[in-house]
Amino acid sequence: MQLNEWILGAARKDARAFRQLYDACSPRLFGLALRIVRRPELAEEVLQESFIAIWDHAADYQSSLSAPMTWMTTIVRNKSFDLLRRAGGEADLDIDNAGFDAGIMASLSDPRANPADALELSSEAKALAACMAVLEEKHRDVIGLAFFHDLSHGDVARRLAMPVGTVKTWIRRGLARLHSCLTGGRTA
Amino acid sequence: MNLRGKDALRERLAAEYVLGTLRGRARRRFEGLMHGDAALRRTVAEWRDRIGAMAEFVPPATPPMRVWRAIEARLGLQAPAPAWQFWRGGALAWWRTLGVVSSMVAALLLVTVLQGPVAPAVDDVATLTDAQARTALLVTADRDRKLLTVRLVETQPLAADRALQLWAVPREGKPRSLGVLGTGRELSLPLTAQAIGADVALLAVSLEPQGGSPDPNGPSGPILYKGAWVSVM
Repeated sequence: MQLNEWILGAARKDARAFRQLYDACSPRLFGLALRIVRRPELAEEVLQESFIAIWDHAADYQSSLSAPMTWMTTIVRNKSFDLLRRAGGEADLDIDNAGFDAGIMASLSDPRANPADALELSSEAKALAACMAVLEEKHRDVIGLAFFHDLSHGDVARRLAMPVGTVKTWIRRGLARLHSCLTGGRTA
Repeated sequence: MNLRGKDALRERLAAEYVLGTLRGRARRRFEGLMHGDAALRRTVAEWRDRIGAMAEFVPPATPPMRVWRAIEARLGLQAPAPAWQFWRGGALAWWRTLGVVSSMVAALLLVTVLQGPVAPAVDDVATLTDAQARTALLVTADRDRKLLTVRLVETQPLAADRALQLWAVPREGKPRSLGVLGTGRELSLPLTAQAIGADVALLAVSLEPQGGSPDPNGPSGPILYKGAWVSVM
């Protein structure tokens, strides 16, 4: 698989392979960084830091046991959260986040507007999109909120003005259903 | 906390660990358990692939070219600068550092240039610095108008019978003269494709007799200033 080879190339300090990896993945990773930190100049910093980390840690990739895209998006997500924490939280950045989330999540739940093909998703993401679409809306929303905003149960609860216990239950049930959907019902 | 045999709990904690809702002491404890439990690490990796794929639901966005340039510069991935005739034996590492620093300086100075009354289109830029990395000249190219603008920022005073000559230094081959600089603070030179092609890596300024180097193949005097030639997207 192509991404895998390029990461292995980067591990060997092959600058050409690294450039190809960047060309192939930077739009997706930049989109994710923008989504989390909101401001383009911050997202550029996140992307830069992330690719430095990808180059430095490419040799450790195999031991992460993850798919290539997951490994890289995890790095971008962590770098984004780090930057926001250093910048003193995202209080001023999240004014229209709720609307954005709703858009993404709504597109997932509409099978006709299936974004999987349009976005050229990996097989993991296609499977997840299909399973997210069958979740109850509130379960989908709390999982999305937590994922994109580095929120604790309490934070999610405050954001939605819901009791913490309810949010915990929704997340737990949502994750359990995702699990059973993604593993073809092997586990409940 | 012992998780052996508690499959449902293991799955739940792994999922919340990846999602980020497992916090504080519970998170640290879980990381401790992962350390000695390969199966748990695998469960976490599975969840990372499952939930992590949510990252792909976000629409892609093309980052500006400068992000790659910054990465390349920080990791020192540019093709190594070759040695030219008259710099053979020079410190290549220094050239590379110079490239990084001067690109940043160039970007900063560019802002100043663009704030002028008539902002010229700037396609390429070089900040030429002296041996102490002090900025001496700023050179910008407007490819549409085929114009090279040289701005003297801070150059040493010259003897009356001396002149500064600007050179384009290609990655391979001989430097090409771009012209002899006059005494003004700013001057325009014609930009020819022959003089400044895609192969130009550096610009340099040499100290020459009035009228320029008598040697058509390159400078006859010392190189006073130099800087990487970077294209601006």
